Amino acid sequence: MMTNDPYFIDFPGRIKSIQREMAADGVDVYLGSRLRTLSWTTDAFCPWRTYIVIPAQGLPTVFTFVIDAARVADESWLDFDHVLGFAPMGGQDQITAVSDLIKSYLKDGKGVVGVEAGMSNYLPEGNLTHYEYEAFAAAMPGAKLVNALDIVDRLSMIKDEGTINRFRKAGLMADAGHEAVLKAIKNGGFAKFTETEIAGIAAMAMREAGSTWEWSFTGGNEIASGYRTGLMGGACTPPTDRKLQAGEPLMVDLHSTYRLGLGDHTHNYLLAPATERQQWHAKNFVDLVALCLKTYKPGITPSTLADEMMVFCEERGFAEFMVPGFEHGIGMLGDEWRIGRNDGPFPYWTNPDHVYQKGEMLICAIQYACPEENIGFRYENAILITEDGCETMSKFPLAIEVIE
Amino acid sequence: MPTIKYLSPEWTAEAEKRLRSQLTPDQMKNLTSSMLTVYNNCPDGKDRALYYKLENGVFTDISIREVPFPEAEFVISGDYETFAKISRAELGSRSALMGGKLRLQGNMVKALSLASIVDRFNKILSEIECEY
Repeated sequence: MMTNDPYFIDFPGRIKSIQREMAADGVDVYLGSRLRTLSWTTDAFCPWRTYIVIPAQGLPTVFTFVIDAARVADESWLDFDHVLGFAPMGGQDQITAVSDLIKSYLKDGKGVVGVEAGMSNYLPEGNLTHYEYEAFAAAMPGAKLVNALDIVDRLSMIKDEGTINRFRKAGLMADAGHEAVLKAIKNGGFAKFTETEIAGIAAMAMREAGSTWEWSFTGGNEIASGYRTGLMGGACTPPTDRKLQAGEPLMVDLHSTYRLGLGDHTHNYLLAPATERQQWHAKNFVDLVALCLKTYKPGITPSTLADEMMVFCEERGFAEFMVPGFEHGIGMLGDEWRIGRNDGPFPYWTNPDHVYQKGEMLICAIQYACPEENIGFRYENAILITEDGCETMSKFPLAIEVIE
Repeated sequence: MPTIKYLSPEWTAEAEKRLRSQLTPDQMKNLTSSMLTVYNNCPDGKDRALYYKLENGVFTDISIREVPFPEAEFVISGDYETFAKISRAELGSRSALMGGKLRLQGNMVKALSLASIVDRFNKILSEIECEY
């Protein structure tokens, strides 16, 4: 990869930065297993169980399910000798293969091995399982296993230019999906489609724009219509075969992927005819999103931002419809859960007092739901915290249009 | 042909002769690699290894080694008795590997691409009449 590539990421540099932190933390070998760690270190999509073994010096070695090892090696910056397959064979099962390599890095088999443990609301997080932990401990009796995931979390918090550019590109791909959906539903077109078909129309347009996957584990593109938009607290809406209907809201939450950078943008519509009450809800929401985007900047925290937004909601009389949270984490593929590091009052959840800094990325995520009236809206957009505000990755204009 | 003892110098010489004459570099895909088959718990209680070295599809070294064994790109290890069962066709080599009776060290992806080659020369070796 040429360094004049706007999407260039210095992966060998990332490994060296992990190795410096390992030395500072007294970790001899790092055993990464989380999807976010694998994306951040290998530049390859690792959908099967995968481990990365990072020694104190030199190149890391990736172990993945043998059926996918050649493809991962082909896509990664690492060569074929550093992306190995594991399989259920003597000496080649993941515990034996990985622990044999780790032991080769430890003097007399003794030392500290940093692992990734914990919990997540995100199912494919990839923390070491209890079984894996015990099996690795038994296979490396001279090693002390310690939880070291904070090393990758603190290093990956501030985004480099290549990562940001990948997110910018993915954001524009999501916009292409929105444009295709708008074209399909306007002038009464919506009546022909189901939620799944809307998801597919967006997917086709995003793929044509170069997106490689509707990445979210929550069902790809999340489309909701009618009462499903207003499910209380419902920020997860895999599409169904429900037909779009006149007089109902439509929520279009699109997920695009560009070189492990993620697009995530939700746009909402009212399918005509729209009542005054529906338009009141819509205006509340659009005004809130605009205020929220104006508020994001270095120095604020999730809790101060939420307090400020909820005051606005209260003043306007719609606080009861709000989920009082305005963000979720984002990073290279696999990193879509908590914000920042594991340093909050509840382990492995976002720290409400995390202070945003320039260069961080997150999803500005806002959920509005009024189940009694079968209406709700969602806003999501990847944002970059800048010097004095934020930059949105998706540029699709903020509005809730009434689609005739 | 008189029966020879498995892994003896006579057996090794016969193995070398057959492999060289029956496998062309083309059939060996012009492979350059090395492989060590480690036999643990031989009848005399020792561990031994059969070392193969290939350059551009030509066997340049086939020899029985004792500890310390040389480095090799692939190492297959197991009990002498397991290998003897495989040679007597009482046990399949894949089944031994999948069942954990044999242990493979080396790049699994490369090993997959070489499996048919290894099968080829294992078949030739299994045809050597010998006693265990």
